[in-house]
Amino acid sequence: MAARRALKAVLVDLSGTLHIEDAAVPGAQEALKRLRSASVMVRFVTNTTKESKQDLLDRLKKLEFDISEDEIFTSLTAARNLVEQKQVRPMLLVDDRALPDFKGIQTSDPNAVVIGLAPEHFHYQILNQAFRLLLDGAALIAVHKARYYKRKDGLALGPGPFVTALEYATDTKATVVGKPEKTFFLEALRGTGCEPEEAVMIGDDCRDDVGGAQNVGMLGILVKTGKYRAADEEKINPPPYLTCESFPHAVDHILQHLL
Amino acid sequence: MAAWGKRLAGVRGVLLDISGVLYDGGEDGGAPIRGSVEAVARLKQSRLKVRFCTNESQKSRQELVGLLRRQGFDISEGEVTAPAPATSLILKERGLRPHLLVHDGVRSEFGQIDTSNPNCVVIADAGEGFSYQNMNKAFRVLMELEKPVLISLGKGRYYKETSGLMLDVGAYMKALEYACGIEAEVVGKPSPEYFQSALKEMGVEAHEQAIMIGDDIVGDVGGAQRCGMRALQVRTGKFRPSDEQHPEVKADGYVDNLAEAVDLLLQHATK
Repeated sequence: MAARRALKAVLVDLSGTLHIEDAAVPGAQEALKRLRSASVMVRFVTNTTKESKQDLLDRLKKLEFDISEDEIFTSLTAARNLVEQKQVRPMLLVDDRALPDFKGIQTSDPNAVVIGLAPEHFHYQILNQAFRLLLDGAALIAVHKARYYKRKDGLALGPGPFVTALEYATDTKATVVGKPEKTFFLEALRGTGCEPEEAVMIGDDCRDDVGGAQNVGMLGILVKTGKYRAADEEKINPPPYLTCESFPHAVDHILQHLL
Repeated sequence: MAAWGKRLAGVRGVLLDISGVLYDGGEDGGAPIRGSVEAVARLKQSRLKVRFCTNESQKSRQELVGLLRRQGFDISEGEVTAPAPATSLILKERGLRPHLLVHDGVRSEFGQIDTSNPNCVVIADAGEGFSYQNMNKAFRVLMELEKPVLISLGKGRYYKETSGLMLDVGAYMKALEYACGIEAEVVGKPSPEYFQSALKEMGVEAHEQAIMIGDDIVGDVGGAQRCGMRALQVRTGKFRPSDEQHPEVKADGYVDNLAEAVDLLLQHATK
């Protein structure tokens, strides 16, 4: 394993780490200011497939976080980057609210399929269209493969099952770009010019945030807010570099021990 | 590869796939495949026994046979092995009450089945019925069951209609398997019980006596071979050239269509 170098970048999860729904984690705004006073790059990362960067930014600004749009990296950004990298024209099966993040991408005469959480697109005709494109050799890019999520009226199928359906029908594998995939973290760091060994991830999801980051060579700090449940830290191997109360505690540790 | 004479010697019974071999379905009823109507007639006139073994699950047997007869095919309901009736029997035997994720056209095959208070989900080729809402309903039924049972009528990946290739039940079966973390039971090709029940109806043994003709290299050909039958792959229906280089399945022969298969059978099998 590569020796650790000086810390240069901090990745911070959003929902559950900086804020819980429409309330900031107590002390988080101030902790962020302290983090910024150190000479590290900061990036905010999330697996959303329904909110554009602008939506996220608006919410965070309302909660008085000092953040700029180019510091936000989402699974939608990861999908867009991959589309640009592969120079493909995607059929976008994503929520309308996510479309702004694909502005400027050519979508006519598609030769790729991008799937996010988009129940309104998961009916037979559209999936069949996607299927035919894939059978002809189009690339399949999945924003993530969640099985289901909680809605007010009960459980609802996520994009994962429909990605699986297309993979089976075409005998191909999707490229999944969201957490906990390695590419997500590598892409998030690309803009910082830092190596994974020079970065730390702070998040509330042990497997997707901490496990995913550590898999790529970063340090992972698990915070006990948001979706954290007791003993989550025992669920990954190796365990988190650090498990602490909340984002402000994580920042304290970084300032005291990692710089 | 051995000469046709050797490959087809001893065949006494022929299992015919329907979709992709006899005809291609479609919104307007679809169209017979060139030469297939006559090929079936010739087979029936010969000494070979004939049975139709299909995974069709959008239409009832009655509807399917009616449609094919209107296209000129010599076929009757009693000659068809289809998955919906087979599934109904299984549901009755096991006291299962299904939530049906099926096309309206096949509901009549489940007419005698109690569907109240479902304790399982039955998924067939629902076609347009595979809306997000309907998939979600089936998903929720499974998630609420202590012992989730998912029965799938076939597990095909896709089939051919006149307008092009169409996602089949298998893809949606996989979606529910993934969402719930379960494994479906498959009624229909390539399940061995299904082939065996068709052979029993026909009164022919798999080994040395029977041959399957189909367009699905895995579901028809591979499945039949695993039961000890021989199998021919036609280049109609859902066939794609890469099927001839399938890494796991080698058909006993590749023919352009049913007409060619029947020519060869009548030349070599009935000696």
